[in-house]
Amino acid sequence: MVIQKMEQNESMVKRGWWLILLLAGAIIAPHVISDFYLVILIEALIMSLFALSFNLLFGYMGQLSFGQAAFYGLGGYTVAMLITKVNFNFWLSLLAGVGVAGFVGLIVGFFCVRLRGIYFAVLTLAFGQLLFVIIYKWHDFTGGDDGIQGVFPPGILKIPIVYYYFVLLVFIASAFILWRIVNSPFGHTLKAMRENPERTEFLGIHIARYQLITFVIAAAFAGLAGALWVPFYRSVAPFYLMWIKSGEPVMAAILGGASTFFGPVLGMFIMTFIHAYILGFTHFWPIIMGTIILIIIFALPGGILEFAKVKLKERQERMKSAKGSP
Amino acid sequence: MFLQTQGITKEFGKLRAVNQVSLDIRKGDIHAIIGPNGAGKSTYFNLITGYHQATSGKVLFKGEEITHLPAYRRCKHGITRSFQITSIFPKFTVYESVLMGLLSHRGVTLSFFSASKKFFKEEVYRILEDVGLADQADTLGDSISHGDKKRLELGITLGTEPELLLLDEPTCGMSPEETESTMIFIRKLVEEKGLTILFTEHDMSVVFGIAKRISVLHQGTLIADGKPDEVRANDEVQKIYLGGTA
Repeated sequence: MVIQKMEQNESMVKRGWWLILLLAGAIIAPHVISDFYLVILIEALIMSLFALSFNLLFGYMGQLSFGQAAFYGLGGYTVAMLITKVNFNFWLSLLAGVGVAGFVGLIVGFFCVRLRGIYFAVLTLAFGQLLFVIIYKWHDFTGGDDGIQGVFPPGILKIPIVYYYFVLLVFIASAFILWRIVNSPFGHTLKAMRENPERTEFLGIHIARYQLITFVIAAAFAGLAGALWVPFYRSVAPFYLMWIKSGEPVMAAILGGASTFFGPVLGMFIMTFIHAYILGFTHFWPIIMGTIILIIIFALPGGILEFAKVKLKERQERMKSAKGSP
Repeated sequence: MFLQTQGITKEFGKLRAVNQVSLDIRKGDIHAIIGPNGAGKSTYFNLITGYHQATSGKVLFKGEEITHLPAYRRCKHGITRSFQITSIFPKFTVYESVLMGLLSHRGVTLSFFSASKKFFKEEVYRILEDVGLADQADTLGDSISHGDKKRLELGITLGTEPELLLLDEPTCGMSPEETESTMIFIRKLVEEKGLTILFTEHDMSVVFGIAKRISVLHQGTLIADGKPDEVRANDEVQKIYLGGTA
């Protein structure tokens, strides 16, 4: 029993070594990179959380949401308005951002989960744009196209490196929760719905109900991402809710691999850093990004991480068969 | 009465696919629904499992009316089905596929934080042993043979621990050996687990080989119902279905 447990622990360490390495890198990173890239790193982490929330719907539930940015923006606006207008507590504002995004997710999701495939995508897009227009036009309440400025986090969180560690902590906790969800019986049901909704329904699963729960969870985490970003950036603007912003996690998931848990994170890091680097000498960023996406789709279908996973498995099998034959 | 349909009718526009079918299915029976193509067998199945809603008439299961319940609720009552075109989870392993039925039936699908791997290992393997797929537990659903896929779907449905199992063409596309072993297995399910089976089938050797009771549909209407010998001897059945060769 004890030996079995030790072996189990050992294999966990073996599998988790790259996570430990990444964590060490994430802790050291702000001390070795420039201030500019620290900002980019924070952005990449927050956008990765956004991408993970999106991929719960896309990669696991199998439905493409093209309005995920609406929840990201709502999280951001909630924090910005609470802090600047009523001087609300920062931590409670973050929670409120998550709550508002989740609540609106419940309403929007109520309609969207009745549809699947392209219809689901178009309806999420329509709702996203609707929310965008409301915030954009409602000048008296939201500041309209001016957005809201002067959103400050409290105390030492104003120091970028401190805020970075705070974001890192929230990111790790969120990723852990999402990881547990996708590997739970609930997550198994999500994947079954993606694989074969009809078969799943005829096993006693009320599809719309499970899709709605997932929609709300995804909206809440997107809201958390937006709520984290706005106090760091000190401002919020309507375009955070726009369909273009919704497209970013879509591209990140395709780039990194939607069928893997960390694929969208990898995709978002690549996108954010290349974007920051390229903007240094050209404004034709979309052309470069488009080219990268094209190459990935044709050369590495399934995304970078999925491709790596397949290659790794092939190698392991080759080694196994090499060992087997004398 | 275990399962009862009372004058059940389904219309698609002007087409009456199932016409006033009243039928009793007794507990523990292996009951076949036969009929030529387009006789309404699949539609009749769909009315029982909730895939379609009846235009008129009633479906009663264990005395309770289920005519208008959605499919997932009927499954919770103990009615599970397989599909004519094999319906499995292509990117799930054989193990994960069978697990899904169990997770659903045992009501743990709203558990968010425990690992799904830890659930019902023994039960999954017992089902895999039963359907003869234990040695392929880690293989993906879409990379096993056609006959194995059919058996996998049977395994998936057994995960929901049904009382009434509806099989739409259970041996369709199987080799003679696979057909034989599936027939033996279906008989075993009824004898050992007390399941009730309602099935449709093209292969008459399968129908007359295992069915205890046979109902014949023709153009949506029930024209015969009884023991295999009675149905075989029925004139009308001979005329329109068995080709009158006997």
